[in-house]
Parts: sequence; C-alpha cells; structure tokens
Amino acid sequence: MKPRVAFFDFTGCEGCQLEVLNFNLEIVDLIGAIDIVEFREASSDHSDDYDIAFIEGSQTTDRDVERVQKIREKAKILVALGACSCTGGVNALKNRFSMEENLKVVYGDSAKLYSTIPTRPTSAYVKVDVHLHGCPPNRNEVISLVKCLLSGKKFEQCHNPVCVECKLAENICAFERGEFCLGPITRGGCNAVCVTGGRKCWGCRALVDEPNVNSEKEILKKYGLTMDDMMLQFKLFNGALEVSK
Amino acid sequence: MQNRVISRKDLASFVDDLIKTKSAGEVIGIKAQGNKFNFGPLASAAELRLDYDISLLPPKKYFFPQTETVLKYEVDKTPKVEAVAAEKPLCIIGVHPFDIRGLLLFDAVYGGKDPDPNYFLKRNNAVIIGVDCLSPNPKAFAASMGTNVTEEGFDLMLTDLGGDYFVTVGTSKGHNLINKAKTKEAGAPDLEKRDKVRKEAEKKYQVSLKMKKEEIPALLDATWESKVFKDRSETCFSCGSCVMVCPTCVCFDVQDEMALSLKGGERYRRWDGCMLTEFASVASGENFREHKEQRFRHRMYRKGKYLVERYKYLGCVGCGRCASACLAEIASPAETYNLLKEAK
Repeated sequence: MKPRVAFFDFTGCEGCQLEVLNFNLEIVDLIGAIDIVEFREASSDHSDDYDIAFIEGSQTTDRDVERVQKIREKAKILVALGACSCTGGVNALKNRFSMEENLKVVYGDSAKLYSTIPTRPTSAYVKVDVHLHGCPPNRNEVISLVKCLLSGKKFEQCHNPVCVECKLAENICAFERGEFCLGPITRGGCNAVCVTGGRKCWGCRALVDEPNVNSEKEILKKYGLTMDDMMLQFKLFNGALEVSK
Repeated sequence: MQNRVISRKDLASFVDDLIKTKSAGEVIGIKAQGNKFNFGPLASAAELRLDYDISLLPPKKYFFPQTETVLKYEVDKTPKVEAVAAEKPLCIIGVHPFDIRGLLLFDAVYGGKDPDPNYFLKRNNAVIIGVDCLSPNPKAFAASMGTNVTEEGFDLMLTDLGGDYFVTVGTSKGHNLINKAKTKEAGAPDLEKRDKVRKEAEKKYQVSLKMKKEEIPALLDATWESKVFKDRSETCFSCGSCVMVCPTCVCFDVQDEMALSLKGGERYRRWDGCMLTEFASVASGENFREHKEQRFRHRMYRKGKYLVERYKYLGCVGCGRCASACLAEIASPAETYNLLKEAK
C-alpha cells in the first residue's frame, strides 16, 4: 500500500508547497509512489487519515499550536518542511517586538480581534522526525526523503557547511567578492544555490552541527564588519534560535 | 626529443587548431573566472590565461569529477548491476608543474594492483600541456616542495620567455602534436633562457618551508602531542574548503540513490575530505576523529607522513589553494610545519 501523505500549511508564504509542485516530471513519479491526501495548494481533498505529515510554516497562534499537536497525534512521521517550520524562519523577526505592537502594526484598530504568540520552530511544540531545511527546501532533498520513507532507509541530513557545495560548484568565495556570507556556519544540502547565483548565504538552512561562531566573528573583524552586522543577517532566518538571543 | 620554441601567434594557431580538429580530444584550458582563474572548455586560444597563479579547482576534476556515477542497478527478481565508466579524450592546456605533481600522486593512489577504471579511462588518454608558473600565488610554496618545476607528467611544457614560448617536449605524443605547429628548434641559448626564467620565478614564492621537505615526516613523528594542532585549529570552521580545492586530496564518499519507483537506481561517488565533521563517522555512530583538533592534525600527518610512507610522494605540492580558500587562515601546511619546527 502506498503511504498516505498530507501537507499542512501554517504561517509562511507557502513557497515550500509551491517548490514541491515545481518538481516537473518528478511530480508524476512522486504521485505514483505516494498518495497525497491533503495538499491545499494542489487539491481540494481533505483527509484525517495519513501516515506522513509535512508541516509548512511556523506556529504563531495558540490555535496553530493545538492544530499541529493534533496532526502529530495522527501522523506516524512528522516532517518540518522549510525554514519557517524548522527554525521559525523570517516569521521570527516579529519576536524582536512586543506581541501587542505587532498586532497593532498589522491589524490597526482591529488588533483586539486577534491574538499572536512569539514564533518558535515546530520542534518547540511537537516531536519532529525530520527537518527539511531551507527557504525554500531543496527539491532533491524532499525527493530523497520520500525515497528513504518508501525504502525504510534512514534520512541523512547534510552535515557539511555550504562551503563544501560552493567549492564543488567552483564559485568564487562570497567573502572575496566583499560580501559577508553565512556559508561557513550554515548547513549545506542546497548546492550553494544562492552563492552560485551570485549572491551570498543568508543562513536559511540553520546552523551546522558544530558551528564555529567564534571564528565567524574573527572573520567579521578581518572584513571590517561588526557583530551587529552578523546578527542582523543571521536573525533573518534564525531569529528564534537560542544563539540569536 | 627535440625541444621547440614557438611564437605567441603560432601557439594561438596551434591551440585553435586543436580546438577545431579535436585531434587530441576536447580542449580544456585555463581561463579567467571573475578576478580568479579556472579550467574550463576552451572556445578559442584567446581565452587562454597562461599567466595565472592558481585555478579555483585543480585539473584533477577532469579525471575525478566532483560527482560521478560508478554503477547502475535494477532490483528485480534477478538484480542487474552494471559498472559505469566512460572514456573521454581530453587535452588540458595550462597545467602548472605542481598540479602535474598532484596528478602523479593521484596516479599512484588510484593505480597500483587494482587500478580505478573511472579515473584511468579518462586519465590514460589525456594530453597534458603544462605551463611553468611565473607568477605564483602569494600563499604558494611550491619552490620549497620541489614542485615548481617538473620533468615528468606532461606531453608538452610551455615556458613564457617574454616574446616566445619555450616548448619542452615530454612524450612522443607531445612531439607528434607540436610537430603540426609552426615552431623552430630550441638551441642552447633558448634552454639557458628557459632555466633563467624558471630560476627567477622560484624567487617569487613568498611562503617557504623553514626546513628541507624531506625532514617533514621526522618532524611529525616528534610532534604528535604538540600544542600547535590545538591552537591552530581553534578557529577552524570544519568547512572543508581546504580539502575541496586540494590537488592531492583523493577521498570520496559513496552513496546509493534509488529511483522513486524503487526498482533501481545508481551508485555515485562524490568528493569528501578529512576536515569535515562526519568524515570519520562509521556505521555504529562512532566518530574516530570527533574534534577539529584531531581532524586538523590528521590532515597535516596525511600530507607530510602517511602518503610519503605509502606512495613515496609528499601529499602537498605547495600550490597555495587551501591557504587561499581558508577564511580562518590556518590551512597552509607550510605554516603549520614551520610552527611545529619552531615549537619543538
């Protein structure tokens, strides 16, 4: 029997779901291998009967927390899909302000009708079996995970920093282009897509297992930058992490 | 074999002819990439930058690609497994002597009793046209490693004499190739000029070993417990940049990738390196070089001792790529060996 897979969206831009839909021909194989029973961006079907739940987005209201806990109860395997679910993502930017202030800025006079809580990663509320990092997640990694689930193989996170894939792609180091790059402390698995595209790493795939944050600070000095410069960039995707505080 | 002298113009025609006729295979050359240099397919001789210091990646990538499928399989009642290895005739222009030395080390490691077919199918037929490095990278120390010049490992070796190029002919394959170009015979004064140019280039190396390279294994034997390894690795990112850009790093990881149908898939290998945290992790979960200090020390020992003992070659050719790529500025083997010597 094919595994029943459901996608659930929380606070986020839904780009992760879009990335899955962008699989081109692989989507055909994917649909052949699994039964997708819930996927708001692609189907109007709903089902409460699923084996694998993909959580997209972060939980930013009490109602979200309850909902993700219910999903956890039903799912055999729960996957955090993308930066918002894995680390809190850009949603965690709001944690810098009071929740009252956030509500007022967004909803103005209607603020009293809404409630919100600080953004935290999904793993703060429920057990997450697999993290698929990235904004958006890497499609090959998503497919790799599905294959692992189908064949009973353990899914291995990429343990290397982005620098490895950057070197394999024969990029000129972003630091040498005068950019401040989070690649040396950020988990790879993205094929260094941003640096290859001429940009720098913004750290959307969270930290590697053993980030040498002290060394990154040393490098800041060398390139005439400050800790504030680094934290500003780092907090874009990792504001909810302990290290950001 | 008679060495030759060729004018810049005739060298360009020679290269353009190689590109046009593909007589020596696909032509790869050293080209500019941003403000750096790298090897890539050559569209015309005008793209060649024989005045470069180092390429981003060493030319080993043509014989040992970053990622390479080594077998394909189908899992049916009777499983089918097929080894994948393809020949590809290549002509690589602009390889520096130290990178040629890197390839000779690769030949030793991938050769032996059980030669690696994927490597040698590409390597055996390749034409190597070298060029002497006259403007070394500021972090390079090839002169100390004795790899700034080489008398072997090339079909042709070019040396920029200012106006013309001296062409050292290394093999009969090289001889036959250069015979098609307009050249003149190199005389004693030309040879003298070549050696003078090489001697001058040798003086340009800014980093040097404070010992003879032959002393490195004994130095390492005496310094296993040295504090230098811990102190120097303190700022290491474990980012693997040093090992990814190295012309003598031979290691790879092997992975099986199933198709979504689960009816088959392929096995591929991909560059891996001992400075990465998971490199020494084994199936039980044990990591026998868990700390960055251990990984750092291992890299220095591998280059300065283990490879020498096993293959007679030092595992570092002094190109300066690792030191250039290392943001923490700790990767240079020469600097570490010098520190070990000082601390002793």
